[in-house]
Amino acid sequence: MAIIYPDMYRNTGKDHTGMMTDPQVINVNTPERIFSVIAGTFLIYSGIKSLVGHPVAAASKLVAGSVLFARGASGHCPIYERTGTDGVRPQNINIKQYFTVNKPREEVYQFWRKLENLPLFMRHLESVTQTDEKHSHWKAKFGSYLPSVSWDAQIVKERENEFIGWSALEGSVIENAGKVEFKDAPGGRGTEVQVVFSYHAPVGGIATGIAKLFNPVAENIIREDVRNFKQYIEAGEVPTTTGQPSGRK
Amino acid sequence: MKALCWNGVKDLRVETVPDPTILNSRDAIIKVSMSSVCGSDLHLYNGFVPSMREGDIIGHEFMGEVVETGKDVRKLKKGDRVVVVSVIGCGECHYCSSGSWSLCDNSNPHAIMQEKAYNYSTAGIFGYSHLFGGYAGSHAQYIRVPFADNGAFVVPEEVPDEKAVFISDAMPTGYMAAEMGNIKPGDVVAVWGAGGVGQMAIQTAYLMGAEKVIAIDSFDYRLQAAAKFSKAETLDYTSTDILDALKEATGGRGPDVCIDAVGMEARTTGIEQIYDKAKQKLRLESDRPAVLRQAIMACRKGGTISVVGVYAGLIDKFPMGVMMNKGLTMRGGQMHGQHYVQMLIDLILQDKIDPSFLLTHPMPLEAGPEAYGMFNDKTDNCMRAVFLPNM
Repeated sequence: MAIIYPDMYRNTGKDHTGMMTDPQVINVNTPERIFSVIAGTFLIYSGIKSLVGHPVAAASKLVAGSVLFARGASGHCPIYERTGTDGVRPQNINIKQYFTVNKPREEVYQFWRKLENLPLFMRHLESVTQTDEKHSHWKAKFGSYLPSVSWDAQIVKERENEFIGWSALEGSVIENAGKVEFKDAPGGRGTEVQVVFSYHAPVGGIATGIAKLFNPVAENIIREDVRNFKQYIEAGEVPTTTGQPSGRK
Repeated sequence: MKALCWNGVKDLRVETVPDPTILNSRDAIIKVSMSSVCGSDLHLYNGFVPSMREGDIIGHEFMGEVVETGKDVRKLKKGDRVVVVSVIGCGECHYCSSGSWSLCDNSNPHAIMQEKAYNYSTAGIFGYSHLFGGYAGSHAQYIRVPFADNGAFVVPEEVPDEKAVFISDAMPTGYMAAEMGNIKPGDVVAVWGAGGVGQMAIQTAYLMGAEKVIAIDSFDYRLQAAAKFSKAETLDYTSTDILDALKEATGGRGPDVCIDAVGMEARTTGIEQIYDKAKQKLRLESDRPAVLRQAIMACRKGGTISVVGVYAGLIDKFPMGVMMNKGLTMRGGQMHGQHYVQMLIDLILQDKIDPSFLLTHPMPLEAGPEAYGMFNDKTDNCMRAVFLPNM
């Protein structure tokens, strides 16, 4: 018997209680589906091979393999469903960060406004070149195996010693915008800085899959780079242990 | 160079590793002359501090000679004989500027990790897990010291190594324990744990005007040292009812200040010990708080609890009702060493404190695994084993 859904539940695969009733809703993206089918096939094959020698291991391989295979073939993952993950549409990155710098507001503002300073401590920026008062050219590298990306940005609004707002120019590979605000902290505690940053991931095709893998990493990278601003302007350096000895081979 | 590396629970190995190099312009490289074990290292040794990685060089209480300085190091120069504070401070943030060096905003490269655990990040510490920055430790022939002008202090010739090395950690920790207790003349102070830090807390408490200090431990040799070198009265918790004995010693009032110099691997007797051990084994609580519970019970109404024994995570059955209704004050913290060093050097020069009795076992670095075994099992009357990595 076909289930008739009221309009508001159509295409969600859920009934009014929120329970999943339609297993055909696709919540796994294409690259992940291909991976699931391949991995599932491998596990099933390996499970069958070890059925005699290691029956317990074989059984778990067969179960896991079947689940993976079904998930890939159908495009529906029951675990994603339960955890509320939508693997098809990647999340945009929206970061808000607040910190207090033990320096006067004018100095903190001026240091940030000279955009060419940013690569001194934002480790993933290769360079920022100011082309005129409002426009700049940015170059970044997010991993040693990935090529550099570059984009142009403009300052869309600013008030001296108070805020700077920027946005990447239309058509940029990295579509981003943000704002940084500076306020006096009470009682001579320096300057309160609030950074808001948003990044819109590309949607569609293989880019979706890449963005989905990349976004959580990118969010940490951006947060660390913003933190480095405070470390650099206060302590004059970004603390590190990279390059120190250890007993790890 | 040779270094003592952590490889797992009770698995330390002496390895040959590359020499450290200057990584930032305010770094210095120190050739280590002495590096002491510390009770808090035992929490690493026994696997109770998260975020250790195989191959990490441990050790945080040390001194040595400056052999190289980065281009922005101003005060130190090659050849200086220095003692280095175990916590690392940038010297510029609000916390360092106000003397709270162990709360430094900028010295922990893994701040993001600590923020997830503690909501805020605190200072980096040498050789004390990746949560505290992942810095290579001092049980090695050489060590890189970041923000060297802040953390490394030149030691006057009159102060020998066996006194100076404890200015790195045991002395400032004991000093701060007593200071947080806000001791007033006439106060009775109870100190749980008669190891290096406890002994220093006892001696500082007397300097601050305590009438009487009572040391609580189970190892006879440690209680004897507390009586002989630190002039404390002593109680053995395995054979004494501590709550009753503390009342007896204070005319029924209870100690004014209670210092926990034990921390997360506290031992006690009876069912409580079994309960906490089991919960810790099952990872239902990360830290065993028997001392803290007893201190809260023992403390006089309106008294102060000062916690310098190291805790890492969560404790269970915390007697909040006792704490609240008795009007107690509780303070804790890793020591702000940089704030105390100059004063501690002066106290040693004036002969008011002599920590050298803590150094019971000078040893070569190669004996690292055995030294930790001995220190952990409290055999051979070991107060502290101190490595001489370049002898």
